[in-house]
Amino acid sequence: MKVGWMMRSFICICCLMLLTSCWNSRELNNLGIVTGIGVDKVPNKEEYHVTFQIVNPSSTATSAGASTGQPTVTIYSSTDRTIFGAFRKTSKKAARQMFFAHTQLLVLGESTVKSGIDGIFDIFERSHELRLNTNVIVARDTEASSILKLLLPVESLPAIGIIKKSKNTARIYGESRDINVFELINGISGEGSVVISGARILGDAEEGTKKSGMEQTKVKALVTMSGLSVLKKGVLQGWLDGPLARGALWVQNEINETSINVDSDEVKDSIAVNINHSKTKIKIELRNKVPVIHVNVVEEGTLSEAQSYIELSNREVIVQLEQQVALKTKQEITQALQAAQTMKCDIFNFGNELKRINPKAWETVKDNWESVFAEAEVDVSVEAYIRSVGMRLEPKLLKGK
Amino acid sequence: MMDPFNSTILDDNLKELQERLGHSPDIVIRRIKSITTQVEVAAVYIEGLIEKLRVNEFVEHAMSFDKLSEEHPVVKSAEDIFLYMKEVARGIGEEQTLEDWDVLFEALFSGDTILWVNGIREAIRGNTSGGEVRTVSDATTQVAIRGSKEGFTESIGTNISLVRRKIKSPNLWVESMKIGDVTQTNVSIMYIHGIVNDNTLQELRTKLQSIDIDGILESGYIEQFLEDTPFSPFPTLYNTERPDSVAGNLLEGRVAIFVDGTPFVLIAPTTFFMFLHAVEDYYQRYDITTLIRLLRFICLVISLFGPALFIAILNFHQEMIPTALLINFASQREGVPFPAFIEAMLMEFTFEIIREAGIRMPSPIGQTVSIIGGLVLGQAAVQAGIVSPAMVIVVSLTGISSFATPAFNMALSIRILRFIIMFIAAFMGLYGITIFTFILVAHMCSLKSLGFPYMSPFGPFIAENQKDAILRVPLKYMKTRPRLISQKNNTRLKVNDGKPGSGK
Repeated sequence: MKVGWMMRSFICICCLMLLTSCWNSRELNNLGIVTGIGVDKVPNKEEYHVTFQIVNPSSTATSAGASTGQPTVTIYSSTDRTIFGAFRKTSKKAARQMFFAHTQLLVLGESTVKSGIDGIFDIFERSHELRLNTNVIVARDTEASSILKLLLPVESLPAIGIIKKSKNTARIYGESRDINVFELINGISGEGSVVISGARILGDAEEGTKKSGMEQTKVKALVTMSGLSVLKKGVLQGWLDGPLARGALWVQNEINETSINVDSDEVKDSIAVNINHSKTKIKIELRNKVPVIHVNVVEEGTLSEAQSYIELSNREVIVQLEQQVALKTKQEITQALQAAQTMKCDIFNFGNELKRINPKAWETVKDNWESVFAEAEVDVSVEAYIRSVGMRLEPKLLKGK
Repeated sequence: MMDPFNSTILDDNLKELQERLGHSPDIVIRRIKSITTQVEVAAVYIEGLIEKLRVNEFVEHAMSFDKLSEEHPVVKSAEDIFLYMKEVARGIGEEQTLEDWDVLFEALFSGDTILWVNGIREAIRGNTSGGEVRTVSDATTQVAIRGSKEGFTESIGTNISLVRRKIKSPNLWVESMKIGDVTQTNVSIMYIHGIVNDNTLQELRTKLQSIDIDGILESGYIEQFLEDTPFSPFPTLYNTERPDSVAGNLLEGRVAIFVDGTPFVLIAPTTFFMFLHAVEDYYQRYDITTLIRLLRFICLVISLFGPALFIAILNFHQEMIPTALLINFASQREGVPFPAFIEAMLMEFTFEIIREAGIRMPSPIGQTVSIIGGLVLGQAAVQAGIVSPAMVIVVSLTGISSFATPAFNMALSIRILRFIIMFIAAFMGLYGITIFTFILVAHMCSLKSLGFPYMSPFGPFIAENQKDAILRVPLKYMKTRPRLISQKNNTRLKVNDGKPGSGK
């Protein structure tokens, strides 16, 4: 029997259709979109307690059908030796297959961070679904699951809300660092230590998981960014708070915008300066096996508020203010450097810098770099400029008070 | 094959004529008896194809010997009458004597009046054609904001004259032929001698002459015979009902094919990008034209890939959608019982039904269709939770985009392909779409329109034709005609060293 070319190609096409077996096709209503993953360590056991925050599409803001009145997210947890095991175990509890490609937030519980985080990231690099641009925070004084359980006002998806808080703080205040899995893995595998933003719960954590807790202007529980955790070789060493955190980020050139209060002639801390541009340059050299670290900061800002009278039309007054801004910055940086040296944690990646510019010298100090770093001499220089005083010149109302 | 008149007797001939035409009532026979010679004469014509005044004038002239005055030459016998008529008729129009039934019928059906003289084997024809034809009116399928409003009519003579009025050159040549054994349809090809590509012209002539069919009712018949690849979804001949579009294409070295009885004129050879051009492109400024051409191209891509991409991304590549949008889609699809593919098919199918019904509907009912279709189906389907609002948006956007293609026949091809791509997207995702696009582009590059590559100027790449494909450069810089393989006269304008104003 002779089969024509059309028949032959028709058979081929039919086979193709059967052979593909609709590979990987998944309908959207069969997916549980994971927005946040929390990893806690089970005490006294080599097991992870993994928590997933899953979007409940029928109750998000855009929902077209009748709202079910459920909260916008729901939480599932599983315990297993491996994280992937916990992923799959959750299928017993979750109605839909979990879809990880949109994971926005990874919360590391304080217990996890204390016992080391190295094991967690293998799956992030190995899986095609988990993403390396997932943001990471550390749950401070609490468990990762408690943070993920909280509902937040304004943002309907809590995980996205927390990230926005972290990014916002990092962008306009600078006590928090916006770090994702990729950067974190780089940091852990490099020579130094890493810092990760911390987040803690204010208020009643249990009430915060209820939708009723949201039905008031002052919600019963809130997540707030709090300090930077310092991790050496994946293990928590301590926390940097307030000025220390900001100083550390200054050295890392991670400050975009921040606000500094400086003194006027009479009143302390009464002039607010908004730094809107800052650039940090690091130089490191080895003198007699003692590293000397030069930190050079150039910052620019505008005067945003005056709480006491100051003669702003006078150029010399501005210069004085600039010097004070520089001094304050220098203090914060010095404190942060000292704190890091006390903890023996090179969170600023000075080690990598030395390795890059002087590999031979690095070889000599490589083995006990952390203690060498603790002994390092630090030289901080800051140049500060005030470029504008805003839309008003002198604060007339405050004159003579 | 000759089929001469059998008899010299008028009655016999008229009888045979009526028998051959099945005694059709629209055949009018006027018998006149000459007063002076008592010879019978008959005038035959077909009602509706003639202009009454012209028939009267013709007959009157032919019979003008029949007066009782001495001024006229002496006409005594039938032969004399015939010779006299021949002489007179020559003065009126194209005079010709007939002695063959086939020629007679052809003359009769073109609106001629036939004069028979009793006792003569031959007949005389006189052109008296006229009658009711549609007057030149607006082009309805290819509307332009700026540009001439006139469109072709059903009469081939009018159509050719419309183009002649635009190109007043002795080099505008027309060749005529009759195609269709039964319909004997007039088909003319028009080109500008000296500019036209001779190979194309020769190929066209050969192809037209080889058409052997009983009837040509529309230029679509010719188009289907001229196509090299009848199984390709793409049209390889462009049709237009605008004289200015024909004139523009003739000036580019193309050939126009006129068919009697239709306002649609074919243009060959055709490239793919011609379907994305409108005549108005050349009347508006180049910048806006280029942008609009880009827009049309984007619309073509949307109408081809729109629903398919949506299905593929929703089913296979959820990670490609921004998180907020994904959650938005997910919440819309909550409660929709069908897979995305079925949902899309349902909507597309509904849309096709509305469209098809809308075309055939009498216009007063047409509005009802759009209300039922748009409002009731679209809105109600979403509220009933059968389809998601996003799908309605995608399908309507696709529908509107398909109307942005200026050529209707290209929009039809895209419509067919859209369903195929949707099907592929549903089981192979973006991977399948990519593979299919490769195949599609390869196929398009293999197409030819009368021997000229369809995808030119991109496949093969012709640099000098780029200025009028997707882009449209200012007319000042379009100094040469688009290159059509081998063409003689290529200069379009002679600019005095390219400097404006240097000619004074």
